[in-house]
Amino acid sequence: MTQRISKTKRFIMMNPVIQFFKYIYLSIKILVVVAGGHGGTRNKV
Amino acid sequence: MQIIFHQTDANHFSMKCNAIILQLNNQPMAKIVILGAGISGHVAASHLRRKLSKQHEVVVVSPNSNYQWIPSNIWVGIGRMKSEQILFPLEPLYKKKNIGFKQAKAVSFHPEGDKEVTKPYVMVEYVKGEDKNNFEKVTYDFLINATGPKLAFDMTEGLEPGKNKAYSVCTYGHAEHAWHGLKELIEEVKKGKKAKILIGTGHAKSTCQGAAFEYILNVEQELRRHDVRELVEVTWIANEYQLGDFGMDGMLLSYGSNIMKSNEMIEMIFEDRGINWIIGAGVNKIEDGVAHYETLDGEYKTETYDFAMLIPAFSGHGFKAYDKEDNDITEKLFKGFMIVDADYTPRPYEEWTVQDWPETYQNPSYKNIFAPGIAFAPPHAISKPRVSKNGTAISPAPPRTGMPSGITAKLVAENIVDIINGKKTLNHKGSMGNMGAACIASAGFGMTKGSGVSITTYPIVPDYVKYPDTQGRKLGKTFGEIGLAGHWLKLTLHYAFIYKAKMKPFWWLIPE
Ligand SMILES: Cc1cc2nc3c(=O)[nH]c(=O)nc-3n(C[C@H](O)[C@H](O)[C@H](O)COP(=O)(O)OP(=O)(O)OC[C@H]3O[C@@H](n4cnc5c(N)ncnc54)[C@H](O)[C@@H]3O)c2cc1C
Repeated sequence: MTQRISKTKRFIMMNPVIQFFKYIYLSIKILVVVAGGHGGTRNKV
Repeated sequence: MQIIFHQTDANHFSMKCNAIILQLNNQPMAKIVILGAGISGHVAASHLRRKLSKQHEVVVVSPNSNYQWIPSNIWVGIGRMKSEQILFPLEPLYKKKNIGFKQAKAVSFHPEGDKEVTKPYVMVEYVKGEDKNNFEKVTYDFLINATGPKLAFDMTEGLEPGKNKAYSVCTYGHAEHAWHGLKELIEEVKKGKKAKILIGTGHAKSTCQGAAFEYILNVEQELRRHDVRELVEVTWIANEYQLGDFGMDGMLLSYGSNIMKSNEMIEMIFEDRGINWIIGAGVNKIEDGVAHYETLDGEYKTETYDFAMLIPAFSGHGFKAYDKEDNDITEKLFKGFMIVDADYTPRPYEEWTVQDWPETYQNPSYKNIFAPGIAFAPPHAISKPRVSKNGTAISPAPPRTGMPSGITAKLVAENIVDIINGKKTLNHKGSMGNMGAACIASAGFGMTKGSGVSITTYPIVPDYVKYPDTQGRKLGKTFGEIGLAGHWLKLTLHYAFIYKAKMKPFWWLIPE
């Protein structure tokens, strides 16, 4: 096992208060990608 | 009712040429048959039912009486969820919503009918109840093939869920079985046994690396929870050339203020968790506790284990198709999976483009047949194909995860509704080259101790022309995050999608 994630980073990753805000932020960010829509890639002939 | 198809140039996929005129004569009713009730089949059925008036018939044919939320199988496989929490019976829901249901499996396709039946039909075989083993010709005006993949365990010698200490988590039944195997091993380790766990892909051309990735991180966390981690060696084995390829050629993603390659991110996670890895490995044979594999260098090696979870190859179901005269026309409908509006011209990797990928999932020969989700034949892989020194192809097949499966099913349903309402072109399009995907990979279960790796990718199929400097993807929309919030997100998705699948009030507001 090699410690690749620093103690501070791990604290941030697992702190419920910080992660609650991250949860809200990620939900919105993901929704933007998802709701960003989709479409074709070919030009109309 | 009569459906008239305008003659089209088979090689010309333009929407103009795809004109379909639906003539509603004396019977103003359309019958839409959906094969499969997985993510794509169920999404298509629910949207069709919501948007079509009662005079139109929606019928689902599926051998499984339950709907299952497959992504949560990972948690069934570590004993943190019961199967009952991820599934529900379809028949009562369909009855309530006026959707027909036949617990049967499609056997053959007859898109022109036959000498006795003038309408197109699918031959289905009932799998349960009084009608078990009986066949029926189920006629249709529109057919949606949403049968997903065949879990082709038979393509790897000795790979069978629960045999040779190797398991699968691809269905809830398999996942339950895997948990029993894992639990037994954990008990033995608690008594002092040292053990080896092997998780990854069980074939040189497997896909769905993401599911195996989730499972290995969850298993690793459970070993820590049971206080036995020290005694267990955990190893990842996959056909990926680099870690974090996921069948999508890897990705460049923003991670906090950094820009990182997915292989660097996954390497960081694996090293931090003490997980070993073997990559570029095509598993070709499983014996009791031994996985045989070939490497890209052409070497033949083995890896021993006490518990393994290996994702099999996914293949088409081997359906046959026949014309009116009973001639075999399978090659018009299938290329392993179902042929749709993709460009299947064989080309070298360097010449692949996003334009090769389908937009409407309509079969070019029979325009009232569609195949969303995993059921459509991809034009090619997404990851760069690689061959071992012995000539064995060892690289991931293209994944089609839950989100694109849902999106493509919804757009197919919307196009069918449009045609029924008299539109002459297919206006709803969704190429995987112009679609984003969110992949929330569970990295451990628990409200305070859990973790998740949240990754979004846009587009799914890299567009190297549009985004030449960022490995074919848009950076702001392609990002990764690791932490407890990821677990909460995955859990939220579990509840939200089961709510949506149960068609509870305002279900359609939840995006696919
Ligand atoms: C363990 C696991 C975890 C996953 N996790 C995620 C995740 O976190 N996020 C994500 O986006 N994706 C995930 N995926 C992928 C996702 O589950 C698939 O992309 C999705 O299920 C594909 O949907 P589908 O409807 O095309 O196929 P399926 O869900 O496989 O559905 C196929 C349906 O067809 C039926 N069928 C089969 N044969 C016949 C026949 N002959 N006639 C009629 N019906 C038939 C089957 O019973 C089934 O109902 C995961 C997959 C696995 C295996």
